[in-house]
Amino acid sequence: MKTILVVDDDEAIRILLQEELTEEGYRVITASNARDALKIVEQEALNLVILDIRMPGMDGLEALPRILGMKEGLPVIFNTAYSQYQESFMSWAADAYVIKSADLSELKNKIKELLT
Amino acid sequence: MNRPKGLTTIIMAGGKGERLFPLTRNQAKPAITFGGLYRIIDFTLSNCLHSGIRQIYVLSQYGSFSLDRHLKQAWDIMHPDLGEYIHSMPPQQIMVNRWYRGTADSIYQNLTLLEEERPKQVLILSGDHVYKMNYQEMLDFHLGHQADMTVAAVMVPRREGSSLGILHVDADSQVVNFLEKPAEPPPIPGNPNYCLASMGVYFFRAEVLVEEVIKDAKHTKSSHDFGKDIIPQMVGRKRVFAFNFQEPGGAAPRYWRDIGMLDAYFRAHLDLLGEKPVFDLFDRDWPIRGRPQLTPPSRYTSPSHVLLEDCLIAGGCQIQGNLRRSVLSPRVQVGPGAQVDDAILWERVAIGAGATVRKAIIEDGVKVPPGFAIGVDLKQDAKRFHVTENGIVVVPNNAVLE
Repeated sequence: MKTILVVDDDEAIRILLQEELTEEGYRVITASNARDALKIVEQEALNLVILDIRMPGMDGLEALPRILGMKEGLPVIFNTAYSQYQESFMSWAADAYVIKSADLSELKNKIKELLT
Repeated sequence: MNRPKGLTTIIMAGGKGERLFPLTRNQAKPAITFGGLYRIIDFTLSNCLHSGIRQIYVLSQYGSFSLDRHLKQAWDIMHPDLGEYIHSMPPQQIMVNRWYRGTADSIYQNLTLLEEERPKQVLILSGDHVYKMNYQEMLDFHLGHQADMTVAAVMVPRREGSSLGILHVDADSQVVNFLEKPAEPPPIPGNPNYCLASMGVYFFRAEVLVEEVIKDAKHTKSSHDFGKDIIPQMVGRKRVFAFNFQEPGGAAPRYWRDIGMLDAYFRAHLDLLGEKPVFDLFDRDWPIRGRPQLTPPSRYTSPSHVLLEDCLIAGGCQIQGNLRRSVLSPRVQVGPGAQVDDAILWERVAIGAGATVRKAIIEDGVKVPPGFAIGVDLKQDAKRFHVTENGIVVVPNNAVLE
């Protein structure tokens, strides 16, 4: 079973993704901030990370290179309500950039793509 | 000179320089004394000044203190209020918790810097080359060819190309293949005896550079090096061009030396000598900036005649012995009756009366006792000093001479 880490400060999003992705057959771990996420990345054998960008404290753009520094080649998807971060060089290190939406099909497709 | 707009310039200066050991045992390769008054990085920095580039990042790592000190002492000439700077950047350990793993990784680790500057083009230079180059000409070529990456290259005879990184180009100068140390180097179109060797000087379209170093950072098998990994990965996929660094008219390659090894370091010094040197430090159109030093004038005092032949002698030297084909840094002393041939003497070296020095590099402050011989009996020398394949003796400043 593939394990996905969901990092988002919004509890509703965490619950939504946990339910939906568990239903898809993934094991889901969640973190409400980047610092906790980095600890989980270090300790757990993960297959993919879904990372919010705008979070209090360390944001997703800052967390991404740290995640990749610990686990080279671990796929990361940015999942954010904002499109403007796509311009940032820092966001280019992610494997995909998905704008948050009630329809999760784009996110689910990207996950499938990256895990096969 | 117009300052190039939208350009970020980065000098790679972090390598360990192991093939220059023992000169690099306690300092960075770009900070090594060269040509009496200079450090190797001064040639690249002088090129920047002559190209109108006054915003420079120096990526340092190994022995960074020696380099920082030199940048402070010799290159504190930029005007921050005009937006000019030379910043030394050792690994920040902010974005990732590691040293620079290679030249490409050093750019990856400084992506925040490119994010802040948002340049259109990035110029990547090396801190250990000796040459005179106007980067504007290369930038014009790069923009004119709408290149994603342009690699500066020198023509070398094909039989010498087997030890270098060779660019295989088509008639339009587009790179169709990159070969590391090829047995049969591909010739330049229209010039069957020569091939093109990479100089390690690159212009990149900024966005392409970012994409490529990110891609490279995820490659676990990569050595994260521009020459070994980035160029070969890009050729065929992106618009990569070679800028032939040649004399106007295309007859001959222009002077460029990689000071990667002790013998190359020694040979490049010989290029500074002679009435018409191969590399002219007296070129008034292209002065090289070194560290300004206040020294008294050099003085030559000897009751008998002193023979001086083909030397470069910095200020503050006291010469009473004979010198041939040698390069002296400031405050060197040569005692009466001493004979110094083909030697590179760093600051404050003192050669005792009647001593003999041949084909040697002597580090700062070494005192050679009276009557002592260096470079005469290489077997004897090899017992206490480093002697290169070509018989050049290197005397480090911690050597005991008695």
